[in-house]
Amino acid sequence: MNDMGEPERVTAIEPTGDPADVPGARDLVLALADDELCIGQNLGWWIAVGPFLEEDLALTSISQDELGHARALYGLLGDDIDAMAYGREPYEYLCAHITELPCHDWAETLVRHFLYDTAESVRWGALADSSWESLGAVARRALAEERSHLRHATGLLDRLLRTDAGIAHLLPLFDQLAPMACGLFDAPSGCSDEALVAAGVMACELGNQRAQWQDIVGEALAPAGYQPQWAVADPEAAPLGGRAGRRSPHFAALHAEMVEVLSIDPSARW
Amino acid sequence: MSRAVPAAVVAAVRRSVSQVCDPEYPEVTIAELGILERVSSTDGGSTVRIELVPTMLGCPALDVIARDATDAARAACAGADISIEVAFVDSPVWTPDRIAPSAVDFLAREYSVAVRRRSANASCPICGGTALEHRSDFGPTPCRSVEWCPQCRNPVEVVGRVEFPAATGAAQSSPAAMGAAQSSPVPA
Ligand SMILES: [Zn+2]
Repeated sequence: MNDMGEPERVTAIEPTGDPADVPGARDLVLALADDELCIGQNLGWWIAVGPFLEEDLALTSISQDELGHARALYGLLGDDIDAMAYGREPYEYLCAHITELPCHDWAETLVRHFLYDTAESVRWGALADSSWESLGAVARRALAEERSHLRHATGLLDRLLRTDAGIAHLLPLFDQLAPMACGLFDAPSGCSDEALVAAGVMACELGNQRAQWQDIVGEALAPAGYQPQWAVADPEAAPLGGRAGRRSPHFAALHAEMVEVLSIDPSARW
Repeated sequence: MSRAVPAAVVAAVRRSVSQVCDPEYPEVTIAELGILERVSSTDGGSTVRIELVPTMLGCPALDVIARDATDAARAACAGADISIEVAFVDSPVWTPDRIAPSAVDFLAREYSVAVRRRSANASCPICGGTALEHRSDFGPTPCRSVEWCPQCRNPVEVVGRVEFPAATGAAQSSPAAMGAAQSSPVPA
């Protein structure tokens, strides 16, 4: 490289330096990537077994989108995306427990899908103007793809909650899953979301995002005369802490499925 | 002082990469689909950089396209000591407006796939009807939705499921990107 004649670089005085270096920024991105990876993998289960053809296509298309978001997020952290996605120890994953649930009951999948994609719309919105520019670009891109996910979830939910069978079937699932979904807004250990907001990585703190999301969910369920309970009923029975590296009992099987081909042939390529 | 890649080599790479076809539509090139953004020599060094615009973040064809573009570039500068760099760029953002009109016609004729561009209504590839009714956001591939033509009573696949963010900057300089700079309605 020729450095002759190159103008002297003027380094702007930035109190925070590279936004990606703000403590906790990379852990937050890793947590979001892990969420997307697990959700994508779990939704992929519905391939060929959806309750009707269009739903089969919808869930697996959404699965593909979420895996794409995971790939884009891991890509912000390093080049070896497969190693990050598949090659870590269970305690190194930071996904929220709700993303690890298999949800092989379609109603359960729908409720989790609604809770997750509304949460994502808030989350991506808070990152869309991130001072970590490539993170902002992924967020804006994901936000655009996310709209069809939301339309799908809310469209089905609206219609089903107008029926007695839908109400009887779906609302108890909200009792069960809404408290668990709050974990999507937990901060990874050692991640100060105040620092992230101060550095412009996120537009607002995770607690604030959680409140926005709870409003959205509450509004969607109000016509059915239902207000979700957010508190975990029995923290002993269902300890959360996915963001702290604590894995739920479902993770091992999910992870084994993800790495099945890789463990047979580590050099396998598509 | 290092030498820049000769302009003729860059042009040869550009020609070669422009001919790479999409795995989904093997007769349509990535240039016509608006996936190829730029071919340039970088750093005044001995690298040719190929910038591609991903259609969807989760598109499974991306890896294949990147590989085929690399192979095409290598073939174009065989023997020369030039390294090839292929990158998917964040900006501009791909929209169906980046698809060249010739490819829109081809997709309608050969695949019965319609394209929804901001500059024009999507029309039924079978009968030309323009009153398509939305059925599902999710079609057989992630970038195609399913609509219904009341005129000829056929289901129609339409490229353009995602509401794309307003394209910015370089998109306007791309020949296939006419109309891409118009902003899309962004629901709050
Ligand atoms: Zn028609």
